[in-house]
Amino acid sequence: MEIKGSVAVVTGGGNGIGEAVVKFLVKKGAKAVVVDMSQSNIDRVLKDIKAMGGEAIGVQANVTSEADTAKFFKAAVEAFGKVNIVVASAGIIKDGMMLNLDKETGKVSKKMGLDKWQPVLDVNLTGTFLTVRDGAECMVNGGWQGIIVPISSVNKCGQVGQLNYSSTKVADELLPKIVVGEFQMRGIKNIRVVAIAPGYVATPMVAGMNQEALKAICADVHIGRLIEPDEIAAAIAHACENEAIDATCLEVTGGLCYKGGIAK
Amino acid sequence: MKFTYNDMEFSVDKAGKAWDITRGGALVAASLFADDKDGEAKAAALVKTIFPVGIKTVPPDTAHPTMVGDLKIVPPDINHSSFVYWNKDSVSQPKQL
Repeated sequence: MEIKGSVAVVTGGGNGIGEAVVKFLVKKGAKAVVVDMSQSNIDRVLKDIKAMGGEAIGVQANVTSEADTAKFFKAAVEAFGKVNIVVASAGIIKDGMMLNLDKETGKVSKKMGLDKWQPVLDVNLTGTFLTVRDGAECMVNGGWQGIIVPISSVNKCGQVGQLNYSSTKVADELLPKIVVGEFQMRGIKNIRVVAIAPGYVATPMVAGMNQEALKAICADVHIGRLIEPDEIAAAIAHACENEAIDATCLEVTGGLCYKGGIAK
Repeated sequence: MKFTYNDMEFSVDKAGKAWDITRGGALVAASLFADDKDGEAKAAALVKTIFPVGIKTVPPDTAHPTMVGDLKIVPPDINHSSFVYWNKDSVSQPKQL
């Protein structure tokens, strides 16, 4: 599928990976719908797109709300007449161990609460589901050629301290296989689904971490550095253009390994 | 074109051959409907889709002093005309709870 002239809806498009994807696709000639919780992020990204000579709209929305997902797809079609690329990039982390023990007694002193569990499932899994579902509905009813890209993570393999996050990301990895299987059963041929599983990406949040901790992370990456957001965006753009990539999850990790050198 | 909608101030302005939408100082849409003779009207209509009546999206106030996790604790507006104390009867409204 050609990116030039296509319409891309990117949730979490106001910062991090989502922002990089929006700008990368606009540089390649796409029109963008920037979906984010923060109007100030939307404003900043839209001003950058305008300076690049691109076309875009911004929709402040919460991906966990059905009313909101319906709203931003309706706005996309009203503004640009179609939807071709959907990137479900909105995601959050709320790390913590399931159980914490008291050092003296060895008994459980603290449990992961629903305050850490539920919001991560709501945004990363339910939000991705609603975005994928409504994006697919839009493309099926419009008859437009398209690709849907859920964002998984290398930590889908099961990262300690991220029971909540890893659980959602392994589900996001599986999503393309199930959805494309259902498309096949229903004779829906115009939409591909490809998940992307990034490794440690140099978003402002990660790059601003304690530098020693960052150095330790990079020591486990084969290429010896964080992945640039543009490298994730380039992988998504490649998935858009290469029709042979479908019903799968592409890992873009720089060769992230466990201690001892086994690749994750 | 400037207009007030759903208690918000919007502006639809010509930007070259296309149209920009702003809310206050914030950009809502950039370079839409180029060379479309109905571009201004379409841009104004798009505002109602992005900001539907009855749904005024307010992002979390992360600077608010009364945050508990992601929850912002907002006390009831006891001066509101339709405010009723839960434990006091009201002659104007049916008793709740």
